[in-house]
Amino acid sequence: MRRDTLWSWAALAAGLIFLSPVLYTVVLSFQSVEAYYAGGFSFTLKNYAQAFGQYDFLRYLLNSILVSGVVTLGGLAMAVTAAFAFARFDFPGGNLMFAAVVATLMIPSHITLIPNYLTLARAGLLDSYAGLILPALANGFAAFFLRQYIRGIPRALDEAAYMDGARPRQVLWRVIVPISRPAILSMGLYIFIGEWNNYIWPLVALNDRDLYTLQIGLAQLYKENPGEDLVNWPLVMAASTITILPILLGFLLVERHLVRGITMGAVK
Amino acid sequence: MHSRATPYLLVAPLILFVGVFTYVPILTSLDLSFREWDFLSPDRPWVGLENYRLVMSSQEFWNSVRVTALFAAISVPLRLCLALGIASYLVREALPQRLLRGALFLPSVTSTVAIAVVFSWLFATDYGMINAALAALGLPRLHWLQDPGLALWVIIIVNTWKQLGYDIVIYIAGLQAIPQDLYDAAAVDGGRRGHVFRRVTVPLVMPTTYFLLMISVIEAFQVFTVVDVMTRGGPAGATDMLVNLLYRVGFTLFDIGTGSAIAVLLFVLLTALALIKSRVLGRRVHYEA
Repeated sequence: MRRDTLWSWAALAAGLIFLSPVLYTVVLSFQSVEAYYAGGFSFTLKNYAQAFGQYDFLRYLLNSILVSGVVTLGGLAMAVTAAFAFARFDFPGGNLMFAAVVATLMIPSHITLIPNYLTLARAGLLDSYAGLILPALANGFAAFFLRQYIRGIPRALDEAAYMDGARPRQVLWRVIVPISRPAILSMGLYIFIGEWNNYIWPLVALNDRDLYTLQIGLAQLYKENPGEDLVNWPLVMAASTITILPILLGFLLVERHLVRGITMGAVK
Repeated sequence: MHSRATPYLLVAPLILFVGVFTYVPILTSLDLSFREWDFLSPDRPWVGLENYRLVMSSQEFWNSVRVTALFAAISVPLRLCLALGIASYLVREALPQRLLRGALFLPSVTSTVAIAVVFSWLFATDYGMINAALAALGLPRLHWLQDPGLALWVIIIVNTWKQLGYDIVIYIAGLQAIPQDLYDAAAVDGGRRGHVFRRVTVPLVMPTTYFLLMISVIEAFQVFTVVDVMTRGGPAGATDMLVNLLYRVGFTLFDIGTGSAIAVLLFVLLTALALIKSRVLGRRVHYEA
C-alpha cells in the first residue's frame, strides 16, 4: 500500500515535469509583458484580449473549428460507408481498392503537395474553405480501422435485418453504425485532431488572412515578431494556449477513446 | 437483396477522393519533374532529366539529405529505446501508471506549431528557461538555435518530446499482448530482471518495434513543421530537412520542376526504405502474438 502511494506521487511529479513546458505556457499567458521583462509577475487577461481582438485569433479559432469539423464529418461519412462495403460485400475489384486505400498510409503526403496546389488553383479554390477541406477528406486509416471493426460484428445481425426486408443503406444506418459507435467516435477524434493540427497544407493553400487557421495564425504571429528576444512572449503564449486548449480539454474528456483508437489500429 | 452496384456506390466517394488527391498527384509529380515551369508561364517545356541532374549536383540537396538522415538516425532509435524502457514500467493498469501514461501521451495530440513556439521560448538565448537554468548553475548561456552544432539537437529533443508518448502507448499495447506465463516461466527459472527483459520482452515485442520503426522513419523523413517554425532550416542549413527544401523550392521559388524532382526522389527513397526494411526485418520478426 505504502509503496503504491509513493509510486503515485513519483508518477505525478514525473508527469508534471514532463508537461512543464505546457504548464509554463499557460502561466506565462496570464503575465503582463512589462512584468515579464522586469522579472516579476502580475496577473492580466490583456494578452487574451489582444490575441482575440487585435490579432484576430477569434476568427482563426472559428476557422479551425469549421474546417476540422467539416473534415471530420465528411471524412467519417466516406470512411464508414466504404468500410461497410469492404467488410460486408464481395465484389470484383474490392480487394484491389481496399489495398489502394490502405497503401495511402504509406505514401508520403509531400508528393501530393505541388499537384494538389495546382489542382485547386485550376479549380479556383485556393484561398477558400473548400480548398482546405477537400484534399483532407479521404482518410485511409479511418477506412481501414472501421473495416476491421465492422468485420468483428456478427454477420447474423445484418442477415436478420435483410430478412426483415431492410436495404443495405438501412442495415448500415440501423445496425452497423449504432454498434460501431465507439470505433466511429475514436476515428472522429483522430481525424479532428489531425486536421486541427494540420500545418503544411493550409500554409501552402492560404494567402488570405481571413481564412487562417489557428496553426497558421500562431506561426505567423511568432514569425512576424522582430527577433527572438524582443518577442512579446506573453502574447505569443496566450495565442499558443488558445491553439492548444480545445484539444487539451477534449483530450481530458475522452483520453480512453483516443488511446484505444490509436493502439487498436497499430496492433492489428 | 441488393443490386450489384451497391458496394461500388458505397466506396465511390472515398475512392474518388483518394484518386484525385493522392494517386493522380503522384503521376502529376512525376510528369512535372521532367518539365521546366515557374507556375505562371503558359507552357511547360519538357526538359528530360535536367531537373534531376540539377538536384543531384546541388549542394543544398545533399546537405538536406545528410541533415534528414542524421535526424532520422538519431531520433528514431532514441525514441524507440526510451519508449520501450518507459513502457515496460507503465504496463500495469493501476492509477499512477495510467496518469503518467496520459501525461506522456498528451504532447502527441498537441499542436506541433504551439510546441515549436513554446520550445523556441525555452531555448531562447537571453530570456529562455534553459539558459536561465544553465546560468543559475554557473554555466555559460548557449545560442541553442543560432549555433549550427546545437540547432539540430534542439529539433531532435522537441520531436522526441512530442512523439514519445505515442510510441509508449503503442509499446504498452504490444507488451500487454505478451502471455504472462512466459514471464512466470522465466521467474521459475530464476531469470534476473535485465535478463528477462532482453531474452523475453525484447524479442516478443518485435512486431511492435517493427511497426514503430517503419512509421517513425517515414515520419522522420517528412519532418517539416518544427523546423519551419523554429529555425526555417537554419542556421547555415544545419536543420534544413528535405521537406523544408521542397517547400522552399516549390512555394517560394516557384520552381515547380525542381520541386517535383525532389518530391519524386524523396518518394522513391521512402518506398525503397519500406521495402528494404520489410525484407531485412521481416525475417527477424518472431512470435506473432
